[in-house]
Amino acid sequence: MNQDIKQKIHERYQRELQRGERFWPDSIFKDLVMATAIFLLLILLATFVGVPAEPKADPSDTSYVPRPEWYFLFLFKFLAIYGQIPVIGKIEWLATVIVPTIAIGLLVLLPFIDKSPHRYYGKRVFAIGVMAIVVVSMVTLTLMADVPTTGEGIYIPGILQTIGGLVVPAVAYIILILMNFVFKKTSAGAMIWTSGITIVLMIGLTAATLALAPQVEKTETEVALTLEDQILAGQDLYSIHCVECHGDDGSVTVIEGVAGLEGKAVMPISGKDVLYTLNDASLAEVISYGRPDAGMNPFGKAYNPEGLTKGEIDYIVTFMRYSWDDRFEKPQMKPVFPPLAEGEVPSYEVHIAPIVKRYCISCHRPGKENNNYPMTTYEEIVYSGDHAGKNVVAGSMESYLLQVIQGTPIIENGEEVIGVMPPKSTLKPDVIDAFVRWVMAGMPNTAADAAAVK
Amino acid sequence: MWKKIYAWLDERLGLQEMYTSILDRPEPKGNWWNTLGSASLFLFLLQGATGIFLTVYYTPSPDHAYDSIQYIMESVAFGWLIRGIHHWGATLMVLVVFIHMLRVYITASYKYPRELTWLIGVGLLITTLGMGFTGYLLPWNQRAFWATTVGTQIAGSVPFIGNFILKALRGGPDLSALTLQRFFSAHIWMLPAILAALIGVHLYLIIKHGESHFPTEED
Repeated sequence: MNQDIKQKIHERYQRELQRGERFWPDSIFKDLVMATAIFLLLILLATFVGVPAEPKADPSDTSYVPRPEWYFLFLFKFLAIYGQIPVIGKIEWLATVIVPTIAIGLLVLLPFIDKSPHRYYGKRVFAIGVMAIVVVSMVTLTLMADVPTTGEGIYIPGILQTIGGLVVPAVAYIILILMNFVFKKTSAGAMIWTSGITIVLMIGLTAATLALAPQVEKTETEVALTLEDQILAGQDLYSIHCVECHGDDGSVTVIEGVAGLEGKAVMPISGKDVLYTLNDASLAEVISYGRPDAGMNPFGKAYNPEGLTKGEIDYIVTFMRYSWDDRFEKPQMKPVFPPLAEGEVPSYEVHIAPIVKRYCISCHRPGKENNNYPMTTYEEIVYSGDHAGKNVVAGSMESYLLQVIQGTPIIENGEEVIGVMPPKSTLKPDVIDAFVRWVMAGMPNTAADAAAVK
Repeated sequence: MWKKIYAWLDERLGLQEMYTSILDRPEPKGNWWNTLGSASLFLFLLQGATGIFLTVYYTPSPDHAYDSIQYIMESVAFGWLIRGIHHWGATLMVLVVFIHMLRVYITASYKYPRELTWLIGVGLLITTLGMGFTGYLLPWNQRAFWATTVGTQIAGSVPFIGNFILKALRGGPDLSALTLQRFFSAHIWMLPAILAALIGVHLYLIIKHGESHFPTEED
């Protein structure tokens, strides 16, 4: 750049300053308004949107689908689409290294590549056109990030996103470069049209991809935030995974009625010997790794594919601490189910489901010995099992379920086919009362069903 | 009395010079697009302030990181607000810095005599993204853990030196306590120090050359 042009630029700038404003107070006023607006926006976001809760990191849970921060999503999507290209797609570093390096390199070198002194938009159509396409691809790739890249058979959304996210912009870059550097006489109008059509095509293809894409089901993982929720979550997990051997109060010393572990001696886990000598981390480790020499299965996901996550094990430890360790004071907990008023009819969804989850599901779930009577859903409780049709009979005190929970085993042909339930303890009277009222009222499923029963 | 104190301070600090050289500067006519740079600076300071508060309770170890953040969210007075602002501020900062870059690009403000300002600006953009990447791991939740696993894997795909980069980022072959510790260190010491230094140079250059004007057909 020669001295003349530099001189011109400085003179031009001086003229702009002449008819300009002062930094203080003109510009800084706008800056302060902007800063205040941003601050208010952040307070509103923090208050009304908040930070989404996520379960604790679990290195053993490899089924988790990773998602980066939203502003890196376009890069992830680009890599996924790029990987679809035959042959070169398999050379990962071309995309992960070369492309970002070129992008950053171009940004860094921009003032040294674009040496023309012209600044007016009309004289920079090529530069602005390329940047517009880059920005639109970043936005469209981000929008398409959740659409799977591959699918079964001829997967149209996959083809569309490859065209819209990779082919169209690549072709447009080549055309623009040819127009600008090879056919130097191309009019600005032609370049504006090229960029405009490219952008419309990309937006159209993205819209089509999103419209045709299969709906991805979002699985929400529940995260217990308060201590009370953590204890409850721990109790529910304990009821499912631990009660069978350790009993609902953790005091069992000899295992009874568990296939493979019959007669094994165990330490009462609710006593001081366990709770005072093991800290939370050690307790979590015992649950996770198991005690192979003492017969305890590992429950951590790393050692047991159907096992518990790190967070879930922590909930169990929290539950044990606050329930049995006398150094911890258990907060006021909600009852298992809302207490029933005189003459009120319980429903499955409000009353029975939490009771069953707490006291029955430990054994009455698939994979356990329970006369094929899983109790995880309403349908299973009412219709499943070897004694289906007799377990719960609307309005009948002869229902097997009501008999066994009230201490009467079922005898068929002189043989005990169902023992008393639960096998080693008795339910509290209010729980038995809830079951009786529920069966006598015809097993209403929802709260609305229960209200309709007269 | 106040005049005397002011005169005494002015003699030693040069307040009047500061006022004329920093505040009372002539500028070309600007509009709201010109506020993005100062908005980025404001967000940097806000992230710094909220970040400092967060380190009071945050513990960078796999055993406690998650629980300490849950404690901040549930039990610390206004902890949810500080964390919320830091969380959303990060998102907004990336957005504002990026739009600031676009504005400079569109108006071609990177041209003579502001080439170095642009160069420093690119450094600021990359460092800001680095802040986002390192900060993302700190909550030590599933999302953070697996995103960082994949992110560092991508860095590890560089030919020849990939394995070295991967191990340097993770502090070993796998994501571990060491990874969390070094991401924390990068997030609260190294990258902010780089950012602060670059911001200093960036501001100096802006004051030196003045804000660029919006181009017209003459330019």
